[in-house]
Amino acid sequence: MTPIVAIRDLTKVYERGGVTVAALDHVTLDIAQGEFLALMGPSGSGKSTLLHIIAGIDRPTGGSCQVGKVTVTELTESELADWRNQNVGFVFQSFNLIPVLSAYENVELPLLLMNLSGTKRKQLVNTALELVGLSDRAHHLPKQLSGGQEQRVAIARAIVTDPALIVADEPTGNLDSHSADEVLQILQTLSSKAIGKTVIMVTHDPRAAGYGTRTLHLEKGRLKE
Amino acid sequence: MNIATFILKNAARNKRRLLLSVLSAAVSLFLLVTLMVVLRELTQPPSDGDSSLRVCVRNKVSLAATLPQRQRAEIEKVPGVVVCSPFVWFGGKFKEDEQMIFGTIACDPEKLPQLLQEMKIDPEEYAAFLKDRTTCLVGHDALESEKFKAMGLKVGDRFTVMSGIYPTTLELKIAGSYRGTIDDRNIFFHHKYLDESLKDWGLTGMWWLRIDKAESMGPVNTAIEAAFANTANEVRAESERAFQMSFVSMLSGLKEVIAGISIAVLITLFLVTASTMSMAIRERFRELAILKAIGYQRRELFAFILAESFGLSALGASIGAGGAWALYTFADMKKATGGFFVSFEVTPHMLGTAALIACILGIASSLAPALSVSRMSVVEALKTLD
Repeated sequence: MTPIVAIRDLTKVYERGGVTVAALDHVTLDIAQGEFLALMGPSGSGKSTLLHIIAGIDRPTGGSCQVGKVTVTELTESELADWRNQNVGFVFQSFNLIPVLSAYENVELPLLLMNLSGTKRKQLVNTALELVGLSDRAHHLPKQLSGGQEQRVAIARAIVTDPALIVADEPTGNLDSHSADEVLQILQTLSSKAIGKTVIMVTHDPRAAGYGTRTLHLEKGRLKE
Repeated sequence: MNIATFILKNAARNKRRLLLSVLSAAVSLFLLVTLMVVLRELTQPPSDGDSSLRVCVRNKVSLAATLPQRQRAEIEKVPGVVVCSPFVWFGGKFKEDEQMIFGTIACDPEKLPQLLQEMKIDPEEYAAFLKDRTTCLVGHDALESEKFKAMGLKVGDRFTVMSGIYPTTLELKIAGSYRGTIDDRNIFFHHKYLDESLKDWGLTGMWWLRIDKAESMGPVNTAIEAAFANTANEVRAESERAFQMSFVSMLSGLKEVIAGISIAVLITLFLVTASTMSMAIRERFRELAILKAIGYQRRELFAFILAESFGLSALGASIGAGGAWALYTFADMKKATGGFFVSFEVTPHMLGTAALIACILGIASSLAPALSVSRMSVVEALKTLD
């Protein structure tokens, strides 16, 4: 099966105060469509760096990263922004919702870039909110929602453009176990055969990693299966 | 929701800061417009349509130097001169060490209505003024002023006025009042009365003329100056407008002070707006990073910030400059300034200047934060704040 993400010989070297740190050391990896991949490893192992490069918000020092038919590492800043808008959904540890916008408006944000009619946007936002079970909270501000609900809004924002790839950086790090389970179940559903999204999740939590279809360990920038 | 709604919601997220920022911009713009009006009033004194037909003839050496009354006959002979009257700035005051805002002017009472044709006066009062040379005509605004009211002065009453320039004190009877001139605050009295009180003085401060048509201004002025060239009392003849402007040149120091204050106001406005935008952007850095991550381009983030800053400044300018316009248009500024300013007009040019300054400052003050946001790395921004 053709992988949706093909990483070849990827390296990332940071220069901090005259000291060179290899965050990623010649990583090669394939991720299949519909896979729910959990990336684990100690702090500083390079898992978030790998996630950022796959998502197109960071650039490698060497190697290549191909997502679908696009070599992400060769795109310009402007092309990357467009590509991210249409192909990647982000879920962060601290939700990162815009506090002055309602749940509905937060989910609508990525769609404002897509030249869609108001009716079409409304339909897509409502579908996304329904998928995460928050239709009844559409007009609540983030501060009126629980942490678990906020993260579900963030997931709705991530999927509203129907991206092939969803990247989640410690999505359950700020949640209690019940809310964490709800969020992980949603991510698991998204990667199911019925929906077919590819989910890549960085986590420290082995229980969270258990929801994935595959778990990879990174240590000192290298993969350890 | 659309992009405009998004920008508006962001701008209004901290309502107290928004209010204070808009108010500070409004106050700055109000002050700026006020300074522009003051500067205009000081440097471009108001004039009526007839001022282009009036000529001031003064001693060429100095405004303080006097002219002999015998010059009058020569001046009246110059083709184009319709009326000629002596004109003496008496510098009157009611008490020693008092500054009086009313002009006290000695002139030829018979020529006054011809010189100031817009002057409206009751015929009976004017007849009384002509008949008795110890009388005066008081402008309506002076007669209605707090000063005159406090002294209980009305038509028919007498008052004593001492000169701040000449060694004499006159007792004047109010024959009547006038209105309709550009400045209805002056007190006109008989030049002959002043002449007598100064022991047949035989002099005048300057000559005040009316000419037949505007085109005569140049030839009349040239002829009058030529008539007294190489005499002991050479004169300078100029239009009333030019004469007023010669006073303005004495205010150059004040103009610089006002210009300095205006620049300080602009700098303050710039710093306030820049500080507000920097704070607003700093507290939103993570959100902006997220926007960038989900596909917003650099130019879009740059435009969001510029639009917000521009909107804030434009709103402040509308309130400040618009408020100044409303206040100075509908309030009685002559009364409010104790008669110091006859008119206090906010011109469209001033409003345009204020709007332009607000726009430029709004954009300039947000350039630095907008650039830093457009250049930021999403990863670095998230690392810093996570």
